[in-house]
Amino acid sequence: MSKPEFDHFIERSLAQPSEIQPEKDLWPGIEHAIGKPITDQKPHNIWPKVSGVAACFIVALVTWQAVMVQPKHDAMASMTHFFDQQKQTLLVQYEQQPALVTGWQIQLQELENAELAIKQALENDPQNAALLKMLAQVYQQQLDLINKVHTPRWQQI
Amino acid sequence: MLIDAHQAFAKTSDESACEELIGRVQQGDQAAFAQLYAQHNRRVYALCLRLLADRHYAEDVTQEVFVQLWYKISQFKGQSKFTTWLHSVTSNIAISYLRKHKHWLQKVVSIEKSGMDETSITLCKGLNGLDKLVLRLPERARLVFVLHAVEGYRHEEISTMLGMAIGSSKSQYHRARKLLQEWYENE
Repeated sequence: MSKPEFDHFIERSLAQPSEIQPEKDLWPGIEHAIGKPITDQKPHNIWPKVSGVAACFIVALVTWQAVMVQPKHDAMASMTHFFDQQKQTLLVQYEQQPALVTGWQIQLQELENAELAIKQALENDPQNAALLKMLAQVYQQQLDLINKVHTPRWQQI
Repeated sequence: MLIDAHQAFAKTSDESACEELIGRVQQGDQAAFAQLYAQHNRRVYALCLRLLADRHYAEDVTQEVFVQLWYKISQFKGQSKFTTWLHSVTSNIAISYLRKHKHWLQKVVSIEKSGMDETSITLCKGLNGLDKLVLRLPERARLVFVLHAVEGYRHEEISTMLGMAIGSSKSQYHRARKLLQEWYENE
């Protein structure tokens, strides 16, 4: 049997029901998120968020210092040391709190891969300010991601 | 004629059942919301997958759409069909999600994200022939094709949604069709 014309194929496909079953059951995550009103935060839940925001701010400060103020020192090492500590602290803080979205570890893995690639480039050119800024940005994105998936702020419709 | 009348009655009855369900959700009835989710999640997920070309992103955004729906359903006043409104909400959230999750490298060197690879497409269940091709399209061509051909948006609307010129929207649409045709004929 020959293939239908392309236009006919498009027309026929678009006329079909437009539904795909998600492979995961997404309802439990939604139920969890809507079960607790966003404004009804318990006091002890505030601290991970506060410390998360503080961590992001300090990373920015350390980066600025490393890149702009102390370019002759081993900027990458000091930034990495500080970032590792902050990341571990956040992961421990959120350990008992389930993430409200799935697949975030894959995004984190992508950022970690980017981190490795930049570090490799920095080994050949340790004082390259553009690479250091890029590394700082990737560190920042990792901390933001960890914070965001545990304390989401839903966007406006 | 009798069949038409029967279909018209069934449609009206479906619409009033949907209105009643939405009314219950607007009153804060979580069981009604679970029912609304069961009715619409496959549609929302399908649209998210087509726009985002990533199974994990599509799952995240589907969840985000329904969470926002719960908090914002009072904004639905019934001027349009609920599914039309839901599709528009889904499209906006998916586009916003894409912007936020743009890879750092894409931001730095402004490169376009390619479509889904063949292996990942094979792993996605329930795709029709066109979906399998659409997911291979590069990002901008895919977004414009899905919004225009599948969702029925005009190029003027797409240009606002995606922040591109109307001419770019049209040219991305032709690019998408050309690629799809090429892949379809060579399959």
